[in-house]
Amino acid sequence: MVSYILRRLLSTLPVMGIVALFVFSLLYIAPGDPAAVIAGDQASPADVERIRQGLGLDRPFLIQFGTWLWHILHGDLGTSIFTNLPVSAMIAQRIEPTLSLMAITLVLTILVAVPLGVAAAWKAGSWIDRTIMAFAVFAFSLPVFVVGYVLAYVFALQFEWLPVQGYTPLTAGVWPWLKNLILPALALGSVYIALIARITRASMLEVLQQDYVRTARAKGLGQRNILFVHALKNAAVPIVTVIGIGIALLIGGAVVTESVFAIPGLGRLTIDAILRRDYPVIQGIVLLFSFLYVLVNLMVDVTYTLVDPRIRY
Amino acid sequence: MDRRTVLKGLAGVGSLAATGGLSMPALSQGAAARTLRFVPQANLANFDPIWGTQYVVRNAAALVWDTLYGLDATLQPQRQMVESEEVSDDGLVWTFRLRPGLKFHDGEPVRSKDVVASLARWSARDPMGLMLKAIQNELTAVDDRTFKWSLKAPYPKMLLALGKNSTPCAFIMPERIAQTDPFKQIPEYIGSGPMKFAKGEWVPGAKAVFEKFADYTPRQEKTSWLAGGKQMLVDRIEWVVIPDPATAAAALQNGEVDWWESPITDLVPSLKKNRNINVDIADPLGNIGSFRMNHLHPPFNDVKVRRAVLAALSQEDYMRALVGDDTALWKPLPGFFTPDTPLYTEEGGEILKGKRDLAMAKKLLAESGYSSQPVTCVVAQDQPITKAQGDVTADLLKQIGMNVDFVATDWGTVGSRRAQKTPPGQGGWGMFHTWHAGADCISPAAYNAIRANGDKAWFGWPTSEVVEKEVTAWFDAKNLDEEKAAVKRLNKAAIDDVVYAPTGFFLSYTAWRKNVAGIAKGPLPFFWGVSKTA
Repeated sequence: MVSYILRRLLSTLPVMGIVALFVFSLLYIAPGDPAAVIAGDQASPADVERIRQGLGLDRPFLIQFGTWLWHILHGDLGTSIFTNLPVSAMIAQRIEPTLSLMAITLVLTILVAVPLGVAAAWKAGSWIDRTIMAFAVFAFSLPVFVVGYVLAYVFALQFEWLPVQGYTPLTAGVWPWLKNLILPALALGSVYIALIARITRASMLEVLQQDYVRTARAKGLGQRNILFVHALKNAAVPIVTVIGIGIALLIGGAVVTESVFAIPGLGRLTIDAILRRDYPVIQGIVLLFSFLYVLVNLMVDVTYTLVDPRIRY
Repeated sequence: MDRRTVLKGLAGVGSLAATGGLSMPALSQGAAARTLRFVPQANLANFDPIWGTQYVVRNAAALVWDTLYGLDATLQPQRQMVESEEVSDDGLVWTFRLRPGLKFHDGEPVRSKDVVASLARWSARDPMGLMLKAIQNELTAVDDRTFKWSLKAPYPKMLLALGKNSTPCAFIMPERIAQTDPFKQIPEYIGSGPMKFAKGEWVPGAKAVFEKFADYTPRQEKTSWLAGGKQMLVDRIEWVVIPDPATAAAALQNGEVDWWESPITDLVPSLKKNRNINVDIADPLGNIGSFRMNHLHPPFNDVKVRRAVLAALSQEDYMRALVGDDTALWKPLPGFFTPDTPLYTEEGGEILKGKRDLAMAKKLLAESGYSSQPVTCVVAQDQPITKAQGDVTADLLKQIGMNVDFVATDWGTVGSRRAQKTPPGQGGWGMFHTWHAGADCISPAAYNAIRANGDKAWFGWPTSEVVEKEVTAWFDAKNLDEEKAAVKRLNKAAIDDVVYAPTGFFLSYTAWRKNVAGIAKGPLPFFWGVSKTA
């Protein structure tokens, strides 16, 4: 297993290299010019050109790519065109809010979605099942920003329980940290709760019809034991897969959520960087996200072996 | 249901709740009343006010860096860092003396050599600075508090150049920083202004923090815009970047922020209903909407086509698209200069007055020989002001029989594409939309958009000898009457040539909580004189 994990980690290097080349090429051919954004709306064409030269954007593609790659190989993600700050420092500054948001959303999602899915499967066809599935369809259909605005209106403006925007680091205390993240996590999690609840239901339904479950029932095992020890463990592979995919999708969802709740995370940084054509920042974030995707996939694969002993690497 | 509808609905309901007697104790109001939390118009992504000339950078820079002179509310430059100035009888040698006790945030005194280096960097980027540089003999430090600017020709607008608020302003930096190439970013943010920049707390895209500079010595005069005593009544200012307008409105209603620089007009009615919030016009100098046609290529290289568009355009259509039905927010503008300022004129503006003349537009178009070639109209749809104008223009062009190639993209692309001089079919463009701060359009001093000096002109590259002659006449004017006469002729010539198309004059709001006092109307948010109670 250890050698498998090491092999997988090593295999991320060429993947990230290809992603890097792809992203760099894409940005190079994409329309848009950071110098024009920097210079501002009232700048003259000559000013824009001089700024382009100052940033080295007038150099040939291969030289720009080679320079960037050389720095990457030396552990340097480069410097933001706009802020003049190291990209690694900017990412470090922004990663905590995003990881916090994702972690809370994930915990919330699993704690809510899996029991809902199990309950729906156990009571398949009943009003409980129909209610849960109706909720799932409803939650899945609502855009994150609509859920976000409604939550902000109810819990921030009406009840004044929680803030509308911002982020407080964990070092300031657990409650101040959590307070800023509850609404965004609920908004972001609604779609995933719906998704995972539906998958859990489907997977559980399949397992509950298996012979070994009938045998367990025939042996007189309790409902709780059958559901959570026998059935859920065997239904877990697709659920774990969807959770894994969900983590990857959370990164995309975080972009909208961070904008709605003004959380200074990587999602907002990405959008800002794309709109400004801040190439080094975009490239740095894409590399990081690529690595995270690979890591999540690896974790999902490893988890398979824990929930299903038949799977071996 | 679209996003804007949801946004308006929720903000409106939130406001009703607030006015309905619900107490609104903000979660963070326990924070010190000495901290002012401000939502700026845009993200402060860089902090070199000479290298990058966005308004948001200028606004933040005005806290950190001081200027030699400052423009007051009567549009006159007043002494700020300068104690006195002398000009020789022939107008060629200016000698300035700094006031005593000026200090940079690193504790070093402000010396003439710092001023000289700062002015050298500024004059490489600023239009007025470039004019000064072109006639400069030498700019030297005489002693620690005295410096001299010797010229080859008189430059009567010297004090305006040093005190103007259009970007880039002539901010004074320490010599070691000011020696940075003007086309590269400065590495440190050390000024001698009333607030220090807390670089360690800077989260670009999210937060910028300014702390009171204890050693700042304000002037004794009453404050007025960038002039007078810049008295800081709060210890700390936090700029909180909130990209979503509905979230910013909710944060203001909830007391999480104190002042929102530019609320969008859709949300203003709901903010006005909130008993804890003041809403007022932000800047009486407002903005001038505009679109520019490319004078280099067909069809707009023909003045008849440009006039056809001008004859057909309805400024009311543009203004309603920009600010909705709030008629207090806009007025027609048959000219190029800011209304209610000394040089405002409507000379030659008849084509923009009265009923729109589509028949005349079509006739002019026919006379020009326009043959239905596509007009590439590039629009930045991530900037609501340009997008709204672009939609109106597309409809206008279709009405007069033009073939529109509407390219809706983002500002990063428009900014790049508009710099292309190639024909529209080869990556160039036919027209783009923008707007100009009214503060920049009070005179030809910093008004890039009015210039018509061909290759050196702003995007669109208009050429008009008459326009350029009158710009020079304004710079050479000895008194206000001469200035007014020159600007009248300039306005007429610019309309005749259709240097660009003005789409109207519009204002915007600013909003703040009622426990904040001292907010002044002006072309940028002035933080001196602003106080806050718990």
